[in-house]
Amino acid sequence: MRQTRPCRQNSTRFCRQLFFDRAARTLSCGAGFVSLATLAAIFAFLALLSLPLFTQGQWDSVLQAVWRPFEGRYGIGPMVAGSLILSCSAFALAYPLGVGVCLFVLGPGGGPLRRATMGVVTFMTAIPTVVYGFVSVFLLVPLLGRAFGGRGPSLLAAVLTLAVLVLPTIVLFLHGSMRETEERTRLTSAALGFTPLQALLLVVLPGSAAGLRTAAVMGWCRALSDTLIPLMLAGNAPQFPDSLFDSVRTLTAHIALVVAMDNSSPAFHSLFACGLTLFGVSLGAQAALRPRSGTSGPMGDRALGLLSFMAARPACRALISAWAVLSAAAVLASVGALLAFLLTRSLPVLDLRLFFGDTPVLPALLGRQPVWDGLFAACAGTLALVILASLMAIPVGVAGGVALSQYLKGTPAAALRFSANALAGVPSIVMGLFGFSVIILLRHTVAPEANTGLFLSAVCIALLVLPYTINATAQSLDTLPGELRLLGPSLGMTSWQSLRRILLPAAGRGILGGVVLSMGRAAEDTAVILLTGVVAHGGLPRGLFDKFEALPFTVYYLAAQYQSAHDLDKGFGAALALLALTVLLFRIARTLQGRMEREWKH
Amino acid sequence: MKRSMHFAVLAALFLFTCTAARADMLQQFAGRKGKIDIAGGTAHIPVMNEAAKRIMTVNPDIRITVEGGGTGVGVQKAGEGLVDIGNTGRALSEEEVAKYGLVSFPFAVDGVTVVLNPANAVKGLTSAQVQDIFAGKITNWKDVGGADAAITLYTRDEASGTREVFWEKLLKKGAVADRANVVASNGAMKVAVSQDASGIGYMSIGFVDATVKAPLLDGVEPSQANATSGAYKVARKLFMNTKGEPQGLTKLFIDYVTGPECTDIISKAGYIPLK
Repeated sequence: MRQTRPCRQNSTRFCRQLFFDRAARTLSCGAGFVSLATLAAIFAFLALLSLPLFTQGQWDSVLQAVWRPFEGRYGIGPMVAGSLILSCSAFALAYPLGVGVCLFVLGPGGGPLRRATMGVVTFMTAIPTVVYGFVSVFLLVPLLGRAFGGRGPSLLAAVLTLAVLVLPTIVLFLHGSMRETEERTRLTSAALGFTPLQALLLVVLPGSAAGLRTAAVMGWCRALSDTLIPLMLAGNAPQFPDSLFDSVRTLTAHIALVVAMDNSSPAFHSLFACGLTLFGVSLGAQAALRPRSGTSGPMGDRALGLLSFMAARPACRALISAWAVLSAAAVLASVGALLAFLLTRSLPVLDLRLFFGDTPVLPALLGRQPVWDGLFAACAGTLALVILASLMAIPVGVAGGVALSQYLKGTPAAALRFSANALAGVPSIVMGLFGFSVIILLRHTVAPEANTGLFLSAVCIALLVLPYTINATAQSLDTLPGELRLLGPSLGMTSWQSLRRILLPAAGRGILGGVVLSMGRAAEDTAVILLTGVVAHGGLPRGLFDKFEALPFTVYYLAAQYQSAHDLDKGFGAALALLALTVLLFRIARTLQGRMEREWKH
Repeated sequence: MKRSMHFAVLAALFLFTCTAARADMLQQFAGRKGKIDIAGGTAHIPVMNEAAKRIMTVNPDIRITVEGGGTGVGVQKAGEGLVDIGNTGRALSEEEVAKYGLVSFPFAVDGVTVVLNPANAVKGLTSAQVQDIFAGKITNWKDVGGADAAITLYTRDEASGTREVFWEKLLKKGAVADRANVVASNGAMKVAVSQDASGIGYMSIGFVDATVKAPLLDGVEPSQANATSGAYKVARKLFMNTKGEPQGLTKLFIDYVTGPECTDIISKAGYIPLK
């Protein structure tokens, strides 16, 4: 009461501004902690549902090395090994390639070829996982079969595809960090008389130790958390592989395959142990990445010694240059092959029939006539999913980003940042498992009518892309020049006014870029919807809680079980349509972010 | 003469009422609104899709979604009430009936057959050979009269009813080698074996076409006719299941699929309709 009186005396307007100011602060901080709450909820669910393993004394059976559920043996050992072997092999292949690509891009000369290589790598981030998987099934697996005898799916096929999938993650993190170091040290290197390659090896690489580490952890996590590629390519046999041609099952694929077990069986509960393992690893990776004092300096003496040893010898230098060119060539070749194959197979079938089957277009668009044999329902389902998920993720994510950048300091800010990063690292199949088990729990408790469907999928996808929106918003606000930040207060604005009239409009493009980027992620994700309500056939969704079709699932479904040449063509068409959609979204995002950068960096 | 006239009129009348009854089944869906969610057995998918297509063509206000996943998904989702109809490629266990209160409606007979790549020279296998191959004791095709090539095993996921029938009736609950590749549906099995020259798998006879080869089993041709007559032993029925007695649209759908009007769909999908 005492506080409001002076307000009323002055002006209700000021009072209102003060109210807005507080409301904005409270709401955005609240929104920020959605990510923390989600993280806690996921952990609670995974722990709760794997608890029966402890209480019923089946824990030791889960830790075994044999998965034969019909003999009562529920060991997840082979899956843990499969996940580790696959992710480490893919990483071991992708990381040197990634470093090579960065050396090539930043190497002497500049030139259009280097810019083009970087452009291609950026483009790769827009290719949906399921499209990589789909093309590999029909291009890479037959090629490997011809080269090594017809063995079908194998660890090797999955390793190669996964390496291509995680390469852009590695390159983008590393390139950003190396370019920054290069710009900072250019004059020093020149003054010391280094050749460009010597500068890269002796100054830029050692100076980017933190970037090398981040790129490594992010790349490996991406490889570990992927579901679709092992599911489609690795063969899924629950065994310890002896060779690259053996079949393996990863933890992620295991969850997707076994989720249909009886809800009270140990097999079902063991899935949550798998989820908990994956969750723990992604959390551990985030913790490993937290900047600590003393470790952010240059690399260790031994690595430095090796680098200077190599830089001093012409043969080594030539070898490194050759590796850089080779890496870039390998990346360009694999993306080129993927696109060429996809286009040659899908362009001939690209017509209205592909989308609408035999149904006339107008009644189909209006929903008056159901479409058979067409991609229309899948496109509509994906569109509905992206819009719904965005409606949920954008307000919460932007508000959370604002809180992170403007309102929170110290421990709460660190906690929020950590939770957003950790949430970004949660494998999408674990998010799907979380959504599915929430529904099961709801049905058994307060909401017996709860069901999987569009709404549940949208919520799970929104949670999945939430960290991207939070980080993009916080980052855009943080890159604004300091004088802009002071402008509002100096004019006597409240912090809400300053935010609304100055900071948010200035950072708008960057934020929008982040938002569009997360829409791209929402469009391509397959693992979440696999467990939360997607169907193979169903027509247009009529309501929020209906089951739905979606493009990425159609691609996945048809890759494994096309029943005719027409089905397969449809799969290629769906893959192209999905690729076109995500590339469009990523393109928009990059343009917006690029403009924002140009506007405020100089 | 007059009698035969009467007979002809009676026969015509009978035929007429029959066709009227047939048209009636689909007509019963007219004017209704609502949705039916179906999940489970992958062998059922072609039948479910075609039935859904016919019903939704007559009445676009009804929305029928069809999802695969396998028999386990059918039991789990129907049992938890997540879908209206859960399909299974085997009879339910007593436990499952007791736990979830599921009611079963069989509609077709289907055999489960071993499948090979068409390029494979092997024409027939004995039960013992199949058991040894899947147990991982026989690892090369030359040991069963084929070319000198390592055998690639393909099996189905834990949720599969086809796997359970195959495992119980042909493998006699024997081991399946851990190194077997796992695929998630009948359709996926066909694609996998058709692409692997040294592959062996098993699937619903209804899914067999020119892209795969079903070898003789103990000298018996794996065909739906032999499965129905009992000459081919590895056979099962295909079921739809509901939680409790079906109501409303769900009941109509089940009546439609088990009724006379759907027999052509079931036959076309490669199964023998019941009755």
